[in-house]
Order: sequence, then structure tokens, then C-alpha cells
Amino acid sequence: MTSEQPLLEVDDLHVRYSTNGGDVYAVNGVSFSIDTGINYGLAGESGSGKSTVAEAILGLLPENGAIDRGEIRFKGENLLELSAAERRDVLWEKIAYIPQSAMDSLDPVMTTGDQIRQAIEKHRNVSETNARERVRELFDMVGLDPDRTEEYPHEFSGGMRQRVTIAMALALEPDLIIADEPTTGLDAIIQDKILDTMLDIQAQIDSSLLLITHEIGVIAETCAELSLLYGGKVMEQGSVDNVLINPTNPYTMGLKNSFPEIEGGDSPVSIPGSPPNLSRAPSACAFTERCPFSTEECEQSHPDLMELPNRNHRSACHHVEQAAQMRRDATEPETWGVAVEAENEPETGDVILEADNLRTWYEQSQSLVSKLRGKDPTYVRAVDGVSLSVRRSEILGIAGESGCGKSTLGETMALLTTPTDGELVFDGVPYEQYRDGNMKEFRRKLQIIFQDPFDSLNPRQPVRKLVGEPLTIHDYRTDERTAAITETLETVGLPTTTSFLDQHPHELSGGQRQRVAIARALVLDPDFLICDEPASMLDVSLKVNLLNLLRRLADTEDIGIIYISHDLASLAEVSDRLAIMYLGRIVEQGAVDSVIQQSKHPYTNSLLSAAPEKDPSVERQRVLLEGKPPTPVDLPDGCVFAPRCPKATTECHSAEPAADAAGDENHLAACYFPDSEHDPISAEDSSTGTESVSD
Amino acid sequence: MSDFRRFIAKRLTVSALLTLVSVTIIFFVLRLLPGSPFETLITTGNLSPEQAEEVFALYGLDKPLWQQYLVYLKNLLTFQFGYSILQSRPVWAILGPKLANTLILLVPALVTTAVVSTAVGMYAGWNRGSTAETTSIAVTTFLRSTPVFITAIFLLIAFSYTLGWVPAFGMRRVTATPNGLLDTYLSIDFLHHYLLPFTVTVLYYSGDFLLLARNGVVEKKGSEFLKLHRAKGLTENEQLVRAGRNSLLPVVTYFALRLGMIFQGLILLEVVFGWDGIGRALVLAIEQQDYPLVQAAVFIMALAVIVMNLVSDVLCAYLDPTVTANGGAA
Repeated sequence: MTSEQPLLEVDDLHVRYSTNGGDVYAVNGVSFSIDTGINYGLAGESGSGKSTVAEAILGLLPENGAIDRGEIRFKGENLLELSAAERRDVLWEKIAYIPQSAMDSLDPVMTTGDQIRQAIEKHRNVSETNARERVRELFDMVGLDPDRTEEYPHEFSGGMRQRVTIAMALALEPDLIIADEPTTGLDAIIQDKILDTMLDIQAQIDSSLLLITHEIGVIAETCAELSLLYGGKVMEQGSVDNVLINPTNPYTMGLKNSFPEIEGGDSPVSIPGSPPNLSRAPSACAFTERCPFSTEECEQSHPDLMELPNRNHRSACHHVEQAAQMRRDATEPETWGVAVEAENEPETGDVILEADNLRTWYEQSQSLVSKLRGKDPTYVRAVDGVSLSVRRSEILGIAGESGCGKSTLGETMALLTTPTDGELVFDGVPYEQYRDGNMKEFRRKLQIIFQDPFDSLNPRQPVRKLVGEPLTIHDYRTDERTAAITETLETVGLPTTTSFLDQHPHELSGGQRQRVAIARALVLDPDFLICDEPASMLDVSLKVNLLNLLRRLADTEDIGIIYISHDLASLAEVSDRLAIMYLGRIVEQGAVDSVIQQSKHPYTNSLLSAAPEKDPSVERQRVLLEGKPPTPVDLPDGCVFAPRCPKATTECHSAEPAADAAGDENHLAACYFPDSEHDPISAEDSSTGTESVSD
Repeated sequence: MSDFRRFIAKRLTVSALLTLVSVTIIFFVLRLLPGSPFETLITTGNLSPEQAEEVFALYGLDKPLWQQYLVYLKNLLTFQFGYSILQSRPVWAILGPKLANTLILLVPALVTTAVVSTAVGMYAGWNRGSTAETTSIAVTTFLRSTPVFITAIFLLIAFSYTLGWVPAFGMRRVTATPNGLLDTYLSIDFLHHYLLPFTVTVLYYSGDFLLLARNGVVEKKGSEFLKLHRAKGLTENEQLVRAGRNSLLPVVTYFALRLGMIFQGLILLEVVFGWDGIGRALVLAIEQQDYPLVQAAVFIMALAVIVMNLVSDVLCAYLDPTVTANGGAA
């Protein structure tokens, strides 16, 4: 701790939103301070008020949001007392902002360069030439091609757009950068690269960072101090090392334990229940309803932050003195009232779905002239020769970067897209037979759950109709409709009250919506489920709930499941077997432990190393992949991964390794030079393209 | 830019085809109408059937239909509209001044209302829920849904008959005999006559632009990129400009289409104000079955709409960088 004045102090901040349904007390007395040059993390589930705090600091609260109480001091100056014009001068010049959704945050009808230039010219009196020069410099700094400054946002990929916003934030070398979930929605490898770039540059220009995220792992790797928010209150704050290694607050313990980890360890324990109702200012401890250690005292008042002696660590809990005992208990699922799943090896049944050399190619549109010339059309090879099989009661995880074709594979197996070539056998019957008039039967037996529970439910239908509709369509159990709906809702852990059945999607939380989507798939008693990133929009504790639910379904209902995701940690948690996909091919597949512990393919290695580590005391070796996957149109000869592979040789560039080039029956890898026995996290054996990064 | 060129070439081809289809329809529909241009003259005994035959032959109307059609196409392509059957004057000499009269009234009015109403609409959208917003919507919707001749008559009663500020009828004093373009359209007298019809047109079209612009801005208002603009320290007005720029597409499209349509004139307005425009000329020509006149007038109108469609496509491609990329390839 330095003795000088902190850069930013937030003191007893209260923010309230007024809505049609009454007031929402989003932030209820949050205090923290950031010293110059410190990276500060703000963590919490959705609805914890973390983004609202950021908006309050920036003065970006929506019109219905009001700061009731509190002070925000920047270098000793209370931002809330400034006039609108003075406030605008502080923005960007001193405090810059990296927004959450890079996809939508750039003005679509303005070139990316101009948008950055606009920020510069707004605050600095510079000539246009100088401003342009600065933009090129910034593009170069964040790893973008400086010749692309005249291009529009839609010409950039998601990860590159996020780089543009980072470049924008750096433009004026601000004292503080507020990054609101800067990497949410990007896949692990891109996230890793972006964080790396951000930290690197931020260290160069010596500014502080306020990082807001729900991923504790990201904070553990990047920040020195953090605050954990819950229900608009700070639950625990202090140095990252202390808080995350020795949490003293039940909420921190719960959050930490619910994080799935790739590397074995205990299975994650989710915090049961849902985020608190914020329609009134909390009088009790905000976490009391979900806290297994709560006592009468906790009902009385929200505890003040208590300074723990001799270390930079504060916790808001009435029972801080029992922290060590709580920490021990918190790792046990029973503590949280969560039923323990019997860890017996589930019996996997017969093969239910089998794909052999499956291909899905999309024809690229051609100009009339080349059509007339009789040119062969070019194809986007989204899925290019995938062979896999799934048994009943088995969960097969499919992992890969964005754009590797995993979603297309899911859609193809659900016959939402017709395969270009190859065989697909479901329940002993080839897909052609289903396609020729038996589609309805196929649709009943195989269900797909989509990524986004916000768009995949009809907003005008109540839960009763949403879940009941498949019954009507398939004329299934129509005479016992209500019973069928109730049973299914119980299976997925949703209430079955009439009032719940009458609710519309917008009245449900994200987790509930995704459960409704699952219930809608399950109501037909399918034999097979394909889940396409079902948890990517959910908070960590909801995510764990969902994973547990799928696991239970596979074990008890005897159905086969394919789980598609880029999040290896969840996949490792839920799957029996894991398949790694790259450019439309499966490069490695096998039993989940075997793939994770003894990965053979270099690509799997780099995927594994990209996941952040939630324990700040562990140093992680990053294997940063050069470049990005080539477009699957004109693929190079040989192994498709060779251009990015650190170990590629001439052999790799000349002939493509077969799917079973390495390994045995239970663990296949398409690689000539598989990594042998080793710890996949260490990357000593790959000499090029490797950077070691430590905190 | 070859993508863009291909896009233009494609749109041009489509436009040419559309024009051909529309002139063909005009030609055959006119011939399908019962009667002939001379019916009235013959029945009143002013023209004997033999004389009529003679005039028919003179105009080539005795030839088989397909020959007439080919000649018609050839003439249109060379912009030779021929002679009016009933007025024995070149068609262009009749239509030209009337079209000019219509355009001189409607084009400035449309441009004015497009600029003013769009700006007001954007402001209204930005201040959603304010009195300015609700009032502007109510007023313009009222003006839009009231038939234009009712508004016109009310304004006539108020400003012409009651207050006597402006003349009620015509484009200039009855005694005026202007020479030359400047004298025709740039005199104080003309301006005096011009004010009221101009105002009515502006009011009539204001609602469309206002609502389009307002809805566009409302839709953009909560978007993430505006939040980032705000975080950059842009003032309210600068943010509004960005929101407006982003919601300009529908307004521009609508403006271009409207501009194409005003070549038809606003017949109700022309009648109420005694404005000698193309709308009135067309109705009269159809009544009299003056083939060359109708054909020429409809050709010009169709061409205007098609050309303006093309212009709006190109403008959209210019204004929205994402349009070119997709529109050019497919």
C-alpha cells in the first residue's frame, strides 16, 4: 500500500433504478479504492451490481438510474459534483472504457480508424495527420494491421473488434481503464490473447485497470486486488492472493467452489438458490438466503466490512472468526444442501448415434460469369469428414474455437442441415430413411438445445405453451398434457405452480429460460440431446446447475447427449468422452480424463493452456497460438493445423494424418508427432510459438 | 470496387427490364379501353367517319397492333413522344411545362419537409416521452391522415379568404404574361401564389419523415455503440448526430421513392389550387384517350419511379458500408 492518495475512491455508493415494477436497489453501499498502477478486479454474478458501479463511475447510468448516496472521488475530486461538461472532459482523457459487447459497441457506419480519431480529436487539439498517425500506432500496438484503419467494424471479427475498442481506450493514455467483461463471449484462445495484449500495453503506458468480470479465473491472473459483489454489496475485498486462497466469506467460498476446473480436483459445488430480490434495500445480510452458515444474527443486519488483521483483506460476514471452519465445510456439497450424485460409474448402453466421415459443405455464391464459364463452385468445408459415435447414457463433449464447425456439426447431426456426404445412423436407422418421410419420428427422438435462451423461446408464449407445444405438434401424450408438462418441469428443477406456468420468457431469469428450453426438449422423452453452448450465457453457479442436470439426465433417463462448447472446463466436468475439433475435423477424441491428462495433439494442448487458472498462486504456461484458423475454403495440403503448429515438419505439410494416426482405441489423435506422457500444461517441449507468461 | 460496379450493373439491368415491362403494360391497357379518341367528335357530327379514318392512318393507328407496338418502343427509346391527337401539338410541348410546374412546387416542398421533419423526428426520438415528442407525432399524424384537399381548403379559408394574405387560385395573376424562365418562376407574384400550396405539401408529407426518423433514433438509442460514444465524452448533440446518421437509411430510401412518385403530381392539390400540373393533364388525357399524351406521361412517371429506386439503392449502398459487401456478391 502506498501512502499517496488513491487514484479512484468509491465511497458508500448507492444506485437505484426506477422501473415500472417499482424500484430496484442495484448498488447498496459499495466502497473500494484503487491505487495508482494497480489492477483492480470487480467480480460477482449477474445482478450483483458490478456493471452498475462501472456505469456510475463513468456517468453512463441509464436515465432511470439515480445515485442516491455516496461519493466517487477521482484523484481526490468528487466526480458527482462536476458539471456535465467537466465530466465529459474527464471521460476518456482520464478514464477510458472498454465495453462489454465488442460486437455491438462500434458505430457500424463509421470506419474504425475514425472512431478512434474522434476520441482523440474530442479531447486533444491535434492536427488530423497527427491523429491518423496515432491511430496507426495504436492499431499496431494492439496487434491489428495499421493499413486497416479505413475499414468498417463489420469487416473485423469479434476478437479484432475488441482489439479496436482496446486501442480506443489506450488512445489518450488514460490514468484508469474500466473494462466491463471485455472477453465475455469470446472463446478461450481469443480471450487469452486479448488479456495478454491488454496487460502488456497497460503495463507499458502505466495506467490502472478496473476489470469487471464474472470469471474469477481472469481476475486471479490479471489483478492485484479485488472486490466481490453480491446483491449490490461488497462481500469481500482485498488482495487477490488473500481473498482467493483463503476466503473468509461464504459467498466467495461458494463462488470459488462452483468454478469447474479442467484439471480434476473436486467436482464443482454450485450455490443453490437465485440472486436476491433487490426491490427493497437489503436489511439482512444480502447472502443470507443462500448461505448455509447463516444464523439469526445474519437476518438482523448486513455485516460491515471487517478488516482482517495484518493483511490487506476485508470481509463482510458476521462469522469471520469461523472462516477456517467454514472453508473446510464449504467444499462439501452437503453443506450447501445439494444432493450428492452417487459417483458410481454409469453403465453406458448401446450406440445410439453414429457418424461416419460426415461432411457438410456449403457452396459459395458465384458470379453469373463464372457460372457460365462452368467453373467448379468453391465450398466452405464446415464439417469435413467427422466420425464419431455416442452411446446411451453417455455425454460426448465437442470442443473447439469459434468457427471450427462444431455448431454446424450439431445442426447436421440434428438434420437441420442435410449432410453433403458420409453416413449418419441414429437408433440403428440411416438418416436417409428419416429424411424420406419419417422426419417427425426423428425430431421426436432427437432434440437440440440452442445457445441463446433469450432468442430461442417465443416471447409471446407462456411457459405452459412453450413446454406443451411439442406435445401438440407430435401428438404425444396429449391426453395427459398437464401431467407431462409438470413432470418435465420437475425434472429440470423448475417450479410447477400455476403462476409460473403462466409466466412469459421475459419474466424469467436467464437460468430459468435455459431450463424451459431444456424442458421443451425433454417433454417428448427423447433418446438423444444435442446441446449447443447451452451455458455460455449463464452465470457460473447456474452453469454448474445445468451441467449437473445434464449429467443426471444422462445417468437416469438413459439418453445420449452431445455437448458442444468452447469452454473446456465445463466439458471436462460433464462429459464422458471428449472430441476436439479443428477446421471441420476431429483432431483428437477419447475418454475425458485421458484427453485432458495426456493430450496427444498439439492443438488440444494449446486449448488447454488457454483456460485461466482461478488459483492466483499457480503460474500458468501459456501456449499462444500464432495466427487464426484459415478459412475452410482453400485448405492447405497436409495437416490442417500444420501452419499454426509449433512442431510441424515437412511430413505434416505434405500429407494429412488420419484420425487414428496416434493412440489406441480409447484415445485417438490425428497427429504424426503426438505428445507422449507429460503434463499438458507445461509446454517445454514445444519450443517455438511459445511464450511463458507469469503474473 | 468491382463489387460495387457489379452491383450497379445488376440494378441497371433490372431497371431497364422494369421500364420495358411498364411501357408495355401502358401500351396494351390503353388499346384495351373501349372507344377511340374521336368518339365524341364523331357522335357530335363534327368529324365524319372517313375523316377519322384519315387521321387514324396519319397517326399510324390503322396498322396491326404489333407494328404499332414496335414503332412505339422505337420512339420511346429515342425520346420522340409524337404529336397529341387532339391538340395537334408535340406531346413534349404540352407535357414539358406542366411537368415543370409540378416539379417546381413539389421538389422544394419535399426536400424542405424531408430535412426539417427528419431533424425534428430525430430530436423527438432522442427525447422520447417528452411533450415535444408527443405533440409533434400527434400533429403530423393528424396532417398526414387528413386528406390533402381538406387541409388545403382550411388553409385557403384562413389565409386567403379571411386574412387575404395570399391569392387563392392559380400560379400567377391572370393578367401576367411572363417571358422566359426567370420571369416565370422567380417573380414576387409567383412566390405569392406559391406559398400556400408549398406549405400544404410540406405539412402533408411531414408525418412520414418525422415518424421514420423518430423510430430510427428510438431504436438506436439504447445501443452499445452510443454508450461508447458517450463514454468518449461526446456531447448530447454529438451523440444525437451519430444516432441520426445510423438511422438515416429508411429516411433516405423513403425520400428517393417519394421523389420518384411526385412526377405523377398531386392531383387533388393541383385541382384545389388551380395549379397547372401534370396530374391534371394526365387525367384529362386519359378521359380523352389521347394515346400519345398518356403514353408519354405514364412513361415519364414510370421512369422516374424506377430511376429513383435505383438512386435509393445506390445511396443505401453508399450510406451503409455493410450493404455493398452483401449486395454486390449475391
